[in-house]
Amino acid sequence: MHTSLRLIAALGLLLPLAAQAATRVDERAPLGAGGRVELSNIAGKVSVRGWDRNEVALSGSMADGLTLKQDRSTNRVRWEVVYPRNGNNGGATLELRVPRAVEVQLGTVSADIDVAEVNVRRLQANAVSGDIAATGRSGETALTTVSGSIRSQVQTPRLDLRAVSGSVQATGGSGEVAAETVSGSIKLDAGRVQRLGAEAVSGSLNVAAAGLAPGGKVTLQTVSGSIGLQLPRSVSAQLSVKTFSGDIQSDAGTVERPRYGPGRSLEAKLGGGDGDITINAHSGNVRVGLGAR
Amino acid sequence: MNDYDDTTPHDPEHAALQARLRALPAERVPPARVWQAIATQLPPMPRPSADVQRPRATRAPRRRWPLRVGLGLAAALGVLMVVPMPAPRTPPPTLVQRQAEAMAAEYQQAMAALPPTQVGGDWQPALHELDSSADHIRAAIAENPRSRVLLSQLQRTYALRLELTQQAVMAAAGLPS
Repeated sequence: MHTSLRLIAALGLLLPLAAQAATRVDERAPLGAGGRVELSNIAGKVSVRGWDRNEVALSGSMADGLTLKQDRSTNRVRWEVVYPRNGNNGGATLELRVPRAVEVQLGTVSADIDVAEVNVRRLQANAVSGDIAATGRSGETALTTVSGSIRSQVQTPRLDLRAVSGSVQATGGSGEVAAETVSGSIKLDAGRVQRLGAEAVSGSLNVAAAGLAPGGKVTLQTVSGSIGLQLPRSVSAQLSVKTFSGDIQSDAGTVERPRYGPGRSLEAKLGGGDGDITINAHSGNVRVGLGAR
Repeated sequence: MNDYDDTTPHDPEHAALQARLRALPAERVPPARVWQAIATQLPPMPRPSADVQRPRATRAPRRRWPLRVGLGLAAALGVLMVVPMPAPRTPPPTLVQRQAEAMAAEYQQAMAALPPTQVGGDWQPALHELDSSADHIRAAIAENPRSRVLLSQLQRTYALRLELTQQAVMAAAGLPS
């Protein structure tokens, strides 16, 4: 009697797994440098890896009821996992192999996105609640999630990261770096930058850069989130910090307070004063550090 | 002529007397011995000692000041409590506040134009977070009504809320966003 019950229980647990692993995916398409590959999947997981072939390949599995829609042209391959209108029992777990110097566009809803070992011309990944993790190299990188988190270690001269409630953490960005959240926190450790911008509402900003190009600009803004900026002592820029009710601490300059009314500000010339560093916080505290990170 | 001319008879003796009277000086100070004699005839005046009289002369007005001031303040307070005073004037909205109001109105109109669709659960936390953040920024603008940085933050938040709502509606309708 007990053996029968255990058998029924085991079958009950295995049945959903069997249903989810119903369809295998194994697709290939030629694509050279400069081409574009797009992949759309709502739930499950999407992994992207690079290789030294002039073709793209998609492999993995889809839950029962899902179908794969393919759209191909000479320089473009698009795959979309189509979900039934009446719901389904699971998502798709897919791995995409991409050649060098192509453009990669990924879109998911709850599916996590994991990109590694790539060397592409452009990487774009969008998720809603899914997390995004990316490493490798890319000429241009744009990662967006709504409530998921972003972890980027992509070596890229153009990095654009956006989230709403998710946190953002990135290293490897240089040149032009931008990051935005609403309530999530941002932690950036950038290389030498020409433009560096980060914004949050209640989330905190923790930003460091290895250097500022001549005439470069750094702009950091929050409403209630705190702001921390760390730059090398050799940086050349005009530093301007303003808060309404937050504190200011800085390794350079003197904090000024109006005789009457709220507000604090700090103006300082760092080095030759070539670039511009502008920091604004309403009620968040600001800390500017100069020197070794 | 003096006041006596019409009341005296006209005889030689009287005329001589009048001439002598006219020859007298107009004012005459009584000799000192006259005043002494008068003083001895007067009853003694009750004179308090100098120690008691001096404080009364100097302290009495000072003691009245706190009482007068207190009464004055009490009267003023009473008037303030009884008489309806006009409400303190609120400052007119700044340009940033007016722009924030206009932005909020446009946002509400744009949201109302979207089809009423139940968006998926994946979108809900972020949409609530954006609504909460918009309120947060508007409260900050009320505190610091000249901050263009806050206005740009509000604009970004509304734009993001609209964009994500549109995407969520499209996703719920099964359309590509």
